[in-house]
Amino acid sequence: MRRGARAALLIGWLLALAGLGWMVSQRLHVSTDLRSFMPAPTTPDQRLLMEQVGEGPGSRLLLLSIGRSCASCARGTGPSMAGAGLSDEQLAALSQGLAAALKNDRRYSQVLNGSFDLGALDANLLPYRYLLSPTLDTQPLDEAYLADQLQQRLDDLSSPAASLLKGLLPRDPTLEVLKLAERWAPAKSPELREGVWFSSQGEALLLVQTVAAGFDPGAQQQAIDGIRQAFHALPGSSGATLQLSGPGYFSVVVGAQTRHQADWIGRISTVGFIALLLLAYRSFSSLLLSALPIASAALAGIAALTLAFPEVHGITLAFGFTLLGVAQEYPIRVLSHRRAGEDAVHSVRTLWPLLLTAIASACIAYLAFYASGVNGLKQLAVFTIVGLLVAGFSTRYLLPYLLPRRVRDVADMRWLARARTFVDRLPRPRWIPVAVAVAIVLMLALAPAPFWQNNLAALTPLPQDLLQHDARLREALGAPDVRYLLVLQAPTEQGVLALSDQLQSHVDALLAQHAADALELPSRYLPTTALQRERQAKLPDRATLQRALDEALQGLPFRADLFQPFVDDVEAARQLPPLTPQRYAQTPLGQRLAAMLVERDGHWLGLGTVSGVHDAAALQALGENTNGAVRLLDLKAASESLVADYRTRILQALLVAAILLVLTITFALRSLRRAWHVLAPMTLATFLVLAVERVAGIEISLFHLVALILAGGLGLHYALFFERDTGDPAEQRRTLHATLVCVLSALLVFGMLAWATIPVLRAIGLTVSLGVAFHFCLSILMAPHARQD
Amino acid sequence: MGLLLPLWASASASEPAPAASSAPALIAALGQPAPAHTAFAEARFLQVLDRPLVVSGELSWLGGDRLQRRVDHPQQETSIIADGEVTQQRAGRSPRHFSLKRAPQLQVLLDSFVALLSGDAARLQQAFEIRQGGDAGGAWTLTLVPRDARVAKTVASIRIDGYAKASRCMHMQEADGDLAVDLLGPLAAQMPAEPTREALQALCQSAP
Repeated sequence: MRRGARAALLIGWLLALAGLGWMVSQRLHVSTDLRSFMPAPTTPDQRLLMEQVGEGPGSRLLLLSIGRSCASCARGTGPSMAGAGLSDEQLAALSQGLAAALKNDRRYSQVLNGSFDLGALDANLLPYRYLLSPTLDTQPLDEAYLADQLQQRLDDLSSPAASLLKGLLPRDPTLEVLKLAERWAPAKSPELREGVWFSSQGEALLLVQTVAAGFDPGAQQQAIDGIRQAFHALPGSSGATLQLSGPGYFSVVVGAQTRHQADWIGRISTVGFIALLLLAYRSFSSLLLSALPIASAALAGIAALTLAFPEVHGITLAFGFTLLGVAQEYPIRVLSHRRAGEDAVHSVRTLWPLLLTAIASACIAYLAFYASGVNGLKQLAVFTIVGLLVAGFSTRYLLPYLLPRRVRDVADMRWLARARTFVDRLPRPRWIPVAVAVAIVLMLALAPAPFWQNNLAALTPLPQDLLQHDARLREALGAPDVRYLLVLQAPTEQGVLALSDQLQSHVDALLAQHAADALELPSRYLPTTALQRERQAKLPDRATLQRALDEALQGLPFRADLFQPFVDDVEAARQLPPLTPQRYAQTPLGQRLAAMLVERDGHWLGLGTVSGVHDAAALQALGENTNGAVRLLDLKAASESLVADYRTRILQALLVAAILLVLTITFALRSLRRAWHVLAPMTLATFLVLAVERVAGIEISLFHLVALILAGGLGLHYALFFERDTGDPAEQRRTLHATLVCVLSALLVFGMLAWATIPVLRAIGLTVSLGVAFHFCLSILMAPHARQD
Repeated sequence: MGLLLPLWASASASEPAPAASSAPALIAALGQPAPAHTAFAEARFLQVLDRPLVVSGELSWLGGDRLQRRVDHPQQETSIIADGEVTQQRAGRSPRHFSLKRAPQLQVLLDSFVALLSGDAARLQQAFEIRQGGDAGGAWTLTLVPRDARVAKTVASIRIDGYAKASRCMHMQEADGDLAVDLLGPLAAQMPAEPTREALQALCQSAP
């Protein structure tokens, strides 16, 4: 090809890539919500986990502490040490400032810092206090009660609390607002200092409920950024540190840590990879050009995803890029297999049937993933199939026209000839497959249980100090447990509230027995409309109330018309339609209730939050004889069963993929014997990796399975090329060269990952490294003997 | 209004007025060691009431930022301010707690009294604009106006009447017109059954 045509092709290719990149940047919506990667839930508990738990009240809670920053703690932290660090007062001001800043932000549904908040009941809902407070259940608004209350208020007015109550008095002489505020305050409150919550270590504490789901790290990141910005914008925040905790924060931290370590390792291995390829081919332009098929594959894969799916999951991309590692082999094979002076197009042509077999078999195998029906796996299949096809075909039809014409034939390298001789002289006893199979069976049998790792969180563990900090804040704040939920089910919303109301006495009894520290039911925030009507019926009419009030005021110094607003409010309360969750939802408290009431498939669920569970069995017993209307949901158990289901789907897809692979290879090679030489080492090596990891005590997770699939794909290439009998020793040497470059580069990239401290990276790195090594050795040892010339 | 802590005198009440008539010197002379106790009688003129509320009992400074107000008449009640929190105990009822932050007036008072009782003129001047008046006979008046505009929205001014090294009366004028007058020490026994603002004014400014 002429120089001008080459340049045109290169420019055209780059332009096409740029176009794809632009399209991807316009259309790509990455979803980070873990739930959208999960399979469709099958059991009711799993469905609840998937649909609600990420949005459940507990998982959306962020725990905040504002402490003295370390510059000032060195100078002393005691509140009495004036001038040393921030005072309690300053911390409290920061707490108040942060709460005020977040309260009007739509990203947060609730902000609590312990400060008394009369606004808890929205101003235009104030008359509802008589329907919401339990006072009227036991106490009519009669003369005797009013007289007693008014006398108490008189005492209050002569006490230090006077300034506090003075404004409330005319409208609410029985202090229903305060009773409700007490009822809605968290069951276990931290110490109040300077009007806000403080921990025993002298930090101001806050609770923030995000609107975003807890398992959506992207949205949680935004919520957390908002909190940090609001905090740093406060005057005086420079001397204080803000610390966060909670499920949403953890998902962000884990994501960032994993990314950070992956990036760091990725940079080192990229440098090593480039050095290795430069060493192998001594051509900078070859190196750059061989990156084009991979880049095309990745961009085309994402572009296909954006066309086929409205949202692409972050995990799909991460898994997809891992699996696309196979495609890196295609250009390497082309580079290694060129003869001196031979046109690149010609050498690709001779290589193509084998490459096409490898590409086709991988693609057909991934079709099984598409058929699995799981959204995340479908996306993975579309991404990898499109990616592999684009990488393969661009390697065949574009790359050769660009490669430099003059190259060194690797077959002439002396060390390679020696290596090939060494490999050819290796003994290849027929019993090797049998011995390996027996070893695999023995290792699998002897490996310590359990086989599978169902707890995905164990793969991305949190630093111990974060967990301790979380436990300390959770204990101090009495924040709900993220693991358990008490689920109430009824045909209607009101049914759930009624059930919750009935359950309250049993729950109180359990709490008295210390089965849990606290259990918050939805009826705590809103009684049923029936109960509200009952209370409404007990409210006296205007004339009756006025008469009772007048008599109660006899002998008391209150101004005659002082309590007119009270009389008006009671009259208003008599006329009100009962408060429904919908009307309530416009206020912060109603938002909290809305998080506890959810509709699903024509019935309603109430989610009771539990904190400090000591006796899960006792809580479980709440559900006895309720026919499932009340049950304790163990989110950990539900998520683990979900992961197990997911794995079953992957294993089924793998089984189908294996069958498709056998058929494709047998058809492509048109010989069962040859197919055996390709598939046997690949299968044995895959199980050998599994067996070695199990014997080492590693529990197998989804990530191990995906890594095994990648290693299998690489192993297929090794076996296919070693099995090929060209009858040309120079070509055999080139095959060895290409395979060695592939193996070394894979070992470099994934071997680095195997040293990562984060288990999920280690899982992928170790599995692929072991896989590449085993596949390489077994492919050589089980390949038919090279013909000796 | 609020927990009115006195600037009472101990045995030194009959000593002549301090020679220096400047406010810092007077404040320094008023300082005394904790703990200290004095009788008080308080009349509150509130807009929500037709007639003033009268209570009496004992006030104590326990040292630091800790104050106690014990009411004996007409109802037993004890309030303690300590560590930013107010605890209120009434016979036959469970104790009530609330934060000083919820009652800014109390915070102002706490700050000013502790500063006065410890004779800390600088601390007092930080929070208040101080005016001093008096006559040659030894009677004096300190008027404190909060510097913080937010505080001034609730507490308009505090006035302390005294004689020699003893405080006799404290007036707290709230911005909404409500007024609390505390008679301190021996004067507490002279609280009329039905006080008026004028009668108390006269009582405070009379010679001991």
